[in-house]
Amino acid sequence: MKRLLFSLLGVAFIIALFSGATAINPFAMSGIEGDILLGLRLPRVLFSAVIGGMLALSGSVYQLTLKNPLADSFTTGTASSAALGAVLGIACGLPTPLVPVLALITGLCGLMMVYRLSVSGGVINPVTMILAGVVVNIVASAVISFSKFYFEESLSSIVFWLMGGFFIVDWTRLIFCALLLAISFVLLQRIGLQLNLLAFDEASARTMGVDVARLRRFSFVLATLLVAVAVSHTGIIGFVGLITPHIARSLYGSDMKRNLTASTLLGALLLMLADAGARSIIPGGAELPVGILTALLGGVFFLYLLRTRRERLWHG
Amino acid sequence: MAELRIAELNYTRGEFNLQLPALQVSQGEKLAILGENGSGKSTLLQLLTGLLEANSDICYDRRALAQIPIRERARIFALLPQQAQVIFPFSVFEVVLFGRFAQTDGRSPTEEDRNQTRELLQKLDLTELAERSFNQLSGGEQRRVMLARALNQQAQILFLDEPNASLDVRHSLDIFAFLRQTTQTLISPVHDINLAAGFFERFWLLKKGRLLADVSRAQLTNEHLAETYDVKVSTAAGSFIFSR
Repeated sequence: MKRLLFSLLGVAFIIALFSGATAINPFAMSGIEGDILLGLRLPRVLFSAVIGGMLALSGSVYQLTLKNPLADSFTTGTASSAALGAVLGIACGLPTPLVPVLALITGLCGLMMVYRLSVSGGVINPVTMILAGVVVNIVASAVISFSKFYFEESLSSIVFWLMGGFFIVDWTRLIFCALLLAISFVLLQRIGLQLNLLAFDEASARTMGVDVARLRRFSFVLATLLVAVAVSHTGIIGFVGLITPHIARSLYGSDMKRNLTASTLLGALLLMLADAGARSIIPGGAELPVGILTALLGGVFFLYLLRTRRERLWHG
Repeated sequence: MAELRIAELNYTRGEFNLQLPALQVSQGEKLAILGENGSGKSTLLQLLTGLLEANSDICYDRRALAQIPIRERARIFALLPQQAQVIFPFSVFEVVLFGRFAQTDGRSPTEEDRNQTRELLQKLDLTELAERSFNQLSGGEQRRVMLARALNQQAQILFLDEPNASLDVRHSLDIFAFLRQTTQTLISPVHDINLAAGFFERFWLLKKGRLLADVSRAQLTNEHLAETYDVKVSTAAGSFIFSR
């Protein structure tokens, strides 16, 4: 499994590195072209890979802990409530390192609201969950629009940021995000076996020896932290976390230890390619926010899931 | 060895009240809980397994349930709930192997665990389904897989909520024949009274949250059942016959 994924990842990395407004011939590079390649493109490609990994990892965890194949940071309303926190933080002039903290808090609030609304008697209703997620998305977007209107000057750049993209990249941010991804990945791998048992109903899981409430709390916080940090740096990039766990599951089975790894690698792969596409699709050097591309891809995939799983979603 | 002791129990949820005298179940006993719908069978099972919090003492080997860590509980007792489900397409083998979680204390299962799981699948006539996806099985097949999962936990006490629900006659008989040989304690709410009478040794008869009787198989009479279910009961050819 790993060999295939890593080679695909390598190919995607090369493609992403050499796509963009300036065509670069690797065998005859000028000084400027070398600077573009190493100074601009390399960190950006790595950054898109790391963010893709973060979103996919969080999606894999959400789908399992919420027992819902349609769950990811976007459909649960977590991403938009985290974005709300980030926008408010930026608008109120909070120091940059504190913005993700506020995003984490509002993101957790949004997720908990959706969770509380959709759970009754220990059973999560998947349809209610999606509806509650939609509501949280709408409310968060409304408040974001209001703050854009109210703080017009300080936030004019945020409009672009909200569409999701890699416009502000530097090595510090990259290293911070990569570290966070690595630590979360290791922590989640360590509880991978227990996570599997969350796929069972609550009574079975508890009597099989898993402290369901504690494990769910831990997973929620960690997954939401990944989303909050990703959103604070790149805005809302939807549906990466929705698609990749499904592809991983259909390729390598449902076991969470494998699914966490495969989802993360596939997320990195997907977002690297999507960002490469966003940089090359419009001729003449303009670039598309990558969030638009992933939303297009993800929307179609979401419809496909709805079509194939409709029966089971409504009737449990 | 696990011995279950219940101090006097008084549990209220909404309109429903469950009151039981002090009771004790010894290692290896096969106990059936009989009662009509809503008599408190499932609530009792949830209290005994710690899924609902009781305000009186439930002790396993003189240790209060509330003091036993969740993972250790899973080595003392296993539960087959009435409606068990698994989200995402796990294979039958994986589902049954997950039962070993508490025994391996959260570590990856060893080759030994896998072998024991294979053996169990064979004993329960499930080998052919091992590689199938759990969610694609029929209701009865899923039930048998979940039972295998509970058995694979190798706990000392098995709480099986209607072990033969949605099973065909042959598989019901096979399962009970298998359970008869185990040294594990068995505590089971059951609806099929004649099947229960042929297998269990002890009966708790519940009605509207009260214990009507705690009797052995030899002591179980038509009158007991008539009072429990509000029906007329007669006996013919060693079976109970029910009528209104």
